Order: sequence, then structure tokens, then C-alpha cells
Amino acid sequence: MKHDETLRIGVYVCHCGTNIAGVLDVEALAHFAEGLPHVALARHYKYMCSDPGQELVKRDILEYNLNRIVVAACSPNLHEPTFRRAAEDAGLNRFLVQMANIREQVAWVTDDSTEAFTKAQAHLAAAIRRVAGHEALERQFVQIQPRAMVVGGGIAGIEAALTLAEAGKDVILVEREPTIGGHMAMFDKTFPTLDCAACILTPKMTAVKLHPFIKLLTYSTVESVEGSVGNYRVKVRRKPRYIDESLCVGCMMCIDGCVFTQAKFPNPFDQGLGKRKPVWIPFPQAVPPVPVVDPEVCLQIARGKCKQGCVTACGERNAFRFDQEEQIEEYTVGTIIVATGFKAFDPSVIPYYGYGRYPNVYTSLEVERLLNAGGPTAGKLTLRDGSTPKRVGIVHCVGSRDANFHPYCSRVCCMYSLKLAHLVKEKTGAEVFNCYIDVRAPGKSFEEFFNRVQDEGTQFIRGKVADITPANGDGAEGGGLIMNVDDTLLGTIRKIPVDMVILAVALEPQADASDVRRAFGISCSAEGFFLEKHPKLAPVNTANDGVFLAGACQGAKDIPDTVAQADAAAAKALALMDAGQIELEPNTAWVDEEMCSGCQTCISLCPFKAIRHDAERKIAVIDPALCKGCGTCVAACPSGAAKQHIFGDEQISEELEGLMNYV
Amino acid sequence: MSTAMDRQGVELLERLGKSGEGKSPQGCMQCGLCAASCPLGYAMEFPPRKLILQAESGNLEKVLASPSLWMCIGCYTCSLRCPRDIELTDGLWPALRDQSLQAGIQPPAELQETFQNLFKYGNNLGKSPRQRLDWAKDLDVRVLDLSKEPRPVDVLWLVGCYPSYYPRNQVVTRAFARILTELGVTWGVLGAKEKAVGECERMFGEEGLFETLVEENRKLLDKCEFQTLLTLDPHAFRALQKFYPQHGAWYPVKHYTTFLHERMEQLKPLVLKPVKATVTYHDNCCVGRRCESFDPPRELLGLIPGVELVEMERNRENSLCCGGGGGGMWLDAHIVAHGGHRLSDERIRQAAATGADTLAVSCPYELSRFEDAAKVTSLEGKLRVRDIIELLAESMDLGERNVS
Repeated sequence: MKHDETLRIGVYVCHCGTNIAGVLDVEALAHFAEGLPHVALARHYKYMCSDPGQELVKRDILEYNLNRIVVAACSPNLHEPTFRRAAEDAGLNRFLVQMANIREQVAWVTDDSTEAFTKAQAHLAAAIRRVAGHEALERQFVQIQPRAMVVGGGIAGIEAALTLAEAGKDVILVEREPTIGGHMAMFDKTFPTLDCAACILTPKMTAVKLHPFIKLLTYSTVESVEGSVGNYRVKVRRKPRYIDESLCVGCMMCIDGCVFTQAKFPNPFDQGLGKRKPVWIPFPQAVPPVPVVDPEVCLQIARGKCKQGCVTACGERNAFRFDQEEQIEEYTVGTIIVATGFKAFDPSVIPYYGYGRYPNVYTSLEVERLLNAGGPTAGKLTLRDGSTPKRVGIVHCVGSRDANFHPYCSRVCCMYSLKLAHLVKEKTGAEVFNCYIDVRAPGKSFEEFFNRVQDEGTQFIRGKVADITPANGDGAEGGGLIMNVDDTLLGTIRKIPVDMVILAVALEPQADASDVRRAFGISCSAEGFFLEKHPKLAPVNTANDGVFLAGACQGAKDIPDTVAQADAAAAKALALMDAGQIELEPNTAWVDEEMCSGCQTCISLCPFKAIRHDAERKIAVIDPALCKGCGTCVAACPSGAAKQHIFGDEQISEELEGLMNYV
Repeated sequence: MSTAMDRQGVELLERLGKSGEGKSPQGCMQCGLCAASCPLGYAMEFPPRKLILQAESGNLEKVLASPSLWMCIGCYTCSLRCPRDIELTDGLWPALRDQSLQAGIQPPAELQETFQNLFKYGNNLGKSPRQRLDWAKDLDVRVLDLSKEPRPVDVLWLVGCYPSYYPRNQVVTRAFARILTELGVTWGVLGAKEKAVGECERMFGEEGLFETLVEENRKLLDKCEFQTLLTLDPHAFRALQKFYPQHGAWYPVKHYTTFLHERMEQLKPLVLKPVKATVTYHDNCCVGRRCESFDPPRELLGLIPGVELVEMERNRENSLCCGGGGGGMWLDAHIVAHGGHRLSDERIRQAAATGADTLAVSCPYELSRFEDAAKVTSLEGKLRVRDIIELLAESMDLGERNVS
């Protein structure tokens, strides 16, 4: 870049206490900057982000007529907004500020101070050369629709939807199953208080149903999401229930009237342990209280021939619609809360636990249903043959803390295993053996609950259960089971005879999590749960503005944490919607109309669908509200017409020159 | 107070952690899954988790002197189940045994004898190399000795020690020679020049002896031109597939079950004679559990008309080891003397419980182990132990009676 007399750059090197100054000679670094072209002054200061630090910048801008600012400090993710605001306060356009990250990228990662200094020089020179080419930009804002969509109707989605609605916002709640309630509706009791799950959940479910601001779309999935923060256009696929929701009053007469006198199809809500008819409802307090018809087994739909006892029972209500078809509905919303929950780990992939082979090896979720009064045994805990278990083994960490399956701890299994131990003992008086690696009970009143379960006589064996084998050795039906476990505290291997084994299965991401991730433009962490924007400071935000996370879709968590996170997500969504507008990042791409040949290469490449073809002018047009500044179109454009603010060719090449030729 | 030996344990674990095999043993969470999964864990003073715990706590000396150091039979169950992905079978056990030998601690006497045999004769059985080809005497198919008549072949067959010398195994060896010929592949052997592959020696911690064998075998093999290196012994297969490449000796090795499975279409019209048998298949540890090849042997058995396949309660990755791997072949007395049992006895009872009349195997050790076990458990005459090769050969009418 040619020397430009009018450029006056102020450079500020931050000590960040000893974070930077402990490794780098900050004074020498400032001195180095002073010698670079266009630098009017260079200073170093202990904490640039402090008030006096910011004041220093403001004062210098006014006093020394500075028109560019470089701050060599921490990551721009942290304090770029701080210094942009300071510059703006002093009358300088906020985009004429550049940061050199000499903390995360230099001081924290380079042990040798000489090497570190050389690296810091390169970063500083790059920032100085780059900012020289910056131009003043207008701040851009986009309007936010005051309407939210909540995806997933478990306790997370229910809580978030209610909070948003109570704040006066319209909410569209989308749930894949025929009813809201999620996993919590399957549980019998909740730890550590032993509240009946239904007793505390169903009032909230009813509140959702009755709330005038909540539109509930059950048996529905999100098909596609377009647009961006403030204006998401979401297509929702509504599966046919074959019953008109607006006419059904939930009398359930149709279920009695169905020509199948016996319920004979496995009920998924009961984990297949209970049976249902072709027209069915997951559980009595389902919301909406509208049955659903399974087209696979309904004689009328599958074979076109049935006496239609259901229709007769429905009578004048006339709610049945056997010709109902799938429908796509579109909604425009300002913010989205993803609360799609978790999936219980399927232990049949662990050969040595015999799940699926030995009938009395159950998953924890199956046992929840057996213990639940609304479940297949009306709350009576029985073995497959109907008898009451006398000795029950609970195997912790099934699929969790295991490099072969999920290396992470599922957080809730220890506590729900303690709860199950208590309930099994309470209902059957059985001897209970909990085999654990570590008991993790770090929540409020959790340790006390652990102690209570110990006092009740549950035996705790420290060791991960190895094989579960039939007691008679040859796998014949009817026999009991042996849990083979190294009692690591005793130092001996024990064979514990039991007649029921409960596998405390891991919580894992939903099977379709990667599709959901793609639809909402969010990321997943290594184990497949949705990734928050920052693990500490932005735990409900995602990388996609206006899309928030709540509940176990973000990581395994219990009900209190889920509810807290749901309310946090609702608050974040409210803050956005109540502000009414959001500032866009300035680094958006734009098309030089003179140069664009209208080849449309960029359109198919844009991951945010931000580019459209203007057929009249035969050029590409980028919507700045949708552009995320990824630069794909800029790199791909064959004629160099796609350009990007703050990432112009000259700015980038100057930055590279600075990095490579800093001396 | 910390002594040099105290540090050695930690250093050994650190070294293993950096070896690139599995995760560091220092990540062990003492869950005990290895100990309870180990078929002999109940009898071990130091099952895997305690090996790690003791080594970490400065008690390496105790571990190295313990008889339980010589009780691992290399079945890989602990390694594959370990929730922290620690390579116990191929990593920890050999490293500790190596350390023990280096510390001058005497291994069980029967092992010392096999080491000496190997050193002197190139095989653990103490047989003369000149008898290597005795199995081929009067055989009705030509056995090409590549060490005498070098020429390019499709298959170089490393016959192995048991299959070469042990009379019961020779029956299988001869049958396999006929099958290879019937399939039209050109094949040869190394004759008197062949030596043990050395898998056991590596597992014993005789790393030096193993490296010598790798070197010697490499010199031999590099002189030959072949497409496939074939073994009957799953342990040899494992060593050639995994440990030889670590010493720069890579060969296209296959276990015979894989090799034949790839020729199923060719075998189909040849297996014509019904073999009336209810067969249960015992998965060997190296090709089965370790390399997860469970279906090929079963599909080969399924080819044979008349064979009804039944499964044992413990099968595939959950199979119970015969007790012969990792040096177990020579350590039965040691294991029993220190509170263990012969796994082959337990396993054959599991096989009998299926109601099968034939126990099919695919490892040379297993024939003798299970036939001995049948005698001990009074199952002799009720349960025949046969290699898959024998069953195939019978169905292909290539059995022993065809000897010219």
C-alpha cells in the first residue's frame, strides 16, 4: 500500500495483567509498532479493556486526530465490541478498529519468549497494514418478528413455550409425537424429591393446551427452515391423525368402539411392553386428548374394508377423516428454540448384557413404565411371567463412560438408578444391588438421597458389571440371572444371583439429530449433541443467531437443569424479540453489479440461501440480512464480482503481507 | 520414599500410553470390567486393573513376581470391552512379562522349555526341522517346497508348527492341501526352512526372540513371490497382520477361513456329499473376537449339505476362549496350580449343552485342547471335535480315505 499522509493509526498493546506481559516485552512491542508506516502513536497499558484503557483510546482519537485504531490484546470474540464502541464514542467509525490477538494466539500458546515476540510482531504488523485499508461502514439492522417457534414438546419445550407465551409472545410449539410430554411423561417418580412425574408435568401440559398465545402442532415435524434471525420461514409437516382435531372432544369412545376387541399392537409409549389398538392414545392425560389412527394396522386404511366401529362410536361428532393427508404449513417466526430432547441408548449392542436375549433384562425406561400407574402393568413391578422380583440388579453406566459406546457421563443415570432402587424396594421389598463405577450425586439434595437409599438397605457394589448370564448356564427360559462383577472395593469377583436386571442406559442424541442440526443451521459437538455458542458464557445460544437450545438435545441433563435452561432460552429469545431489531455483522458479501455476469455459480454454493438471481438485470443479488459473511461466494465468483466488506482483496493481502514481511 | 522400581511402574505405563496402541493405561478408572470379564480373573492375584493400579502405586516388583502374570491366555475380552480403550492384551501384558524377564525373574518352567525349543529348533514343540514336511508323505497332491524350487505362486502357505508335526493336526493339514489343489490355486510351502511366526513369544514378553523370528522369517518370505500368505493358525495370522508390520515386515496375510470364504462360489458346486452333523462353532479369539470375523466360518459350515448349525450361549464376540492363546497352550498346569481351571473343559461343556454332536473349530490348538477336554469331561464319543477344513473336505470327498 502506498504511503497515505492522511492515515493516522493509533496502536495499543495490552498487558492483560501478566497474561500477555508475562511472556511478551510489551514496551518493546509498542516501540516496534511506532516504527511502522502510518502509525501516529503506540502505547502499552495494563488493562486496555478497563475504563481508563478505553478512555485512553477516546482521548487519543480526539487529541491526535487518529483515524484508525489497532488494539493488540485478546481475541476479538471478547473485546472487539468494547473497542468499536469506544472509537464510536470518540466520533470514529466503529469499523476502523482492528484487533491483533496476541493473547490466545501468541502469549498463551508460545513458551519461548523470543519466538513469542517475533510472532506478536507479525500479528501487530498484519493488523496495522490491514486497518489502513478499512473503510467506514454503516451499521445495519434487521427487524425481529415477535413470534417464536419451539421445536420439541418435552418438558424443555413446554417450559420454554409457556414462558414465552406468558410474556405475551405468540408461540408455535411443534411436537413429533401425538402428544406433548416427552420422556418426563413416561417416568413414574422424579429424583430426588420423588414427586410423581405426571402430577407436576400434566398441569403444565394443560396450560399449554389452554394458552391463547400457544399454537400446538403435535404429530408434526419441521420440514425446512429458511431465512435468518428475525424472519425464519419454517415449513412444518403435519402427519395425518385421521381424526379432525377441531371436532374431537377426547371422549375415547372410538377406542372402545374399534373392531379390534383386544389391544394387540406394541405401544411405543410403553416401550413395547404394553399393547394398543389401531386407534390409540399414548396415555390418559395426553395433550391434545385426541386419539391417533395407525394407518399400518387400521383395517379401514390398510385394507379399505372395516365395519368402522370407531366411526359409529364417534357418532354425531363425526371426527374421523380416513382420507386425511399429510400437510405442509409455513410459519414465519423471529426466533426458534430447539428442544428436541434425547434418545435412550439401546443396550442390545452390548453382547455381554444379554438385553433382548434374556427376557428379564430390562432398560431403565422400560422399568419406569412398569412402575408407572398408567403403564402396562398399572404400576405393578413384575417379571415377564407376572411374578414379583425378589432380587434386582441395577447396572450403572450402560453405554455411558465407555469408549466403545459413549465416552461421556450421562449425568442423570446415577440419580435415576438410586430412584429406581428406592421404588423397586418400596413396591416389591426385593433385595436391590446397584453396581456402579462412581456414584455421581452432585445436585441439590442428591447426596442426601443417596444416603437415604443406602439406609433403606440397597447394596452398593463398586464395579462395572461384566457378563449377565442365565443362572442355569445354558440360557434356558425361566431361570434367574447371574451378574458377574468385580467388587473393586472388596477386591474379589462376585457372582450375584438376581431375577431382574435393570440396565441404566445412557442418554444419547436423537437418531435424526444431524438432520435437525442441518435444518436449523446449528452445530453438534463430538458426541452428537447440539453445540452451544460458548460452553460457559453462551450456553443457550447457537452459532445461528436467533436459534436457541433447551434441554437434553444440548447434552444429557436432569429435569431441573432442563427447566432452567428452557427458561434461559426463552429469556434470550424474548430479549431479541423485545429489542425488535438486531444489528447485523458488517462482514457481509455484496455483488459489484458492473462485474457480475449472472452465471449463478454463487447461488447454489451459498449455505444460507442469501443470494437470488435478478432475472431482469441478469445479476446475482445478496440479501445482507441473510448473509453470514462466510466468503464462499467471494472465493467462487469467476469474475471477481462477489466482494465482502472488511474482507476485501486488498485488506486480506495487506494483512498477509504484514504477517510475512513484518520486519 | 521412592525407589527406582517405584518409578519403573509409572514409566512403563507412560511408555505404553505413548505407544499408539489404544489409550493410556493411566486413564484406567478401576471399574473392574476387565477382571470380571476375564475367564480366569477370579483366580488372578493381579487381574488387568490391579496390574495397572499396582504399577502406578510403585509396587511393580510384586506384579512382576506374581504367578498371575502368566495366567493371561490372550483372549482379548478385556481389551475389547475396556471402557477406556486400553490395549491390555497386546500392550500391557506383554510389556509386563518383558519387564519381568528382564528383571531376571524366572517364568514358569514349562515356558522356559518352549523358549529353548524354539531357540534350538525353530518350533515350540522341539521337533526337528527335517520332519516339517512329514505330513506330506504319500499325499495324493503335490506339495511344492519353495525353499527348494523357488517359483511364483498364488499362495504361500505357512503351515505352522502344530499342523506340521502333531498327528491329529496333520489330518487337517493334508485335507487343506487337497482343498487348495482342488480350488486350482498354485501354492507352495517353505518346508524345512519354515519357522514359528512367534506370536506366543511376543505375548510371553520375549520381544527380543520375537524380533529375531521376524527378521529370519522376513529373509525367507522376501525371497518368495506370492499373492497371499496363508495361515491355519489364527495366532500366526494376528502376528503377521499386526505385529510384523510394526517391524517393517508387511505381507498380504489371510487366515484360511477368510481365504475359503472368498471362494464360496467356487466351493459351492464342490461340497456335494452330505455330512450329517449337528455342529456348533467355537469362535477362535484372534480371527473372531479380535478381528470381528464371525460370519465367514459360519457361512462356510452352512455350505455343507446335511450340517445343522447350532449356537452356544456364548458365541461370537462373547465366545469363551479355549485357554490356549497367549502361551496358555503350555501353561495349563501353571494356571490350575494357581487356582484357575482349563477353559477348554468349561467350553466343551457349553458346546455339549447345545445338543450338537460336532464341535467345529478353526485353530490348530483347539483340536488337541478340546479332544483332551472331551476325555476329561466324559464327552468323548458324544462330541466330535473337527476343524472346518475336515468337514469341508469330507463333503468335497477329499477326506483321508482318498490317500493313494
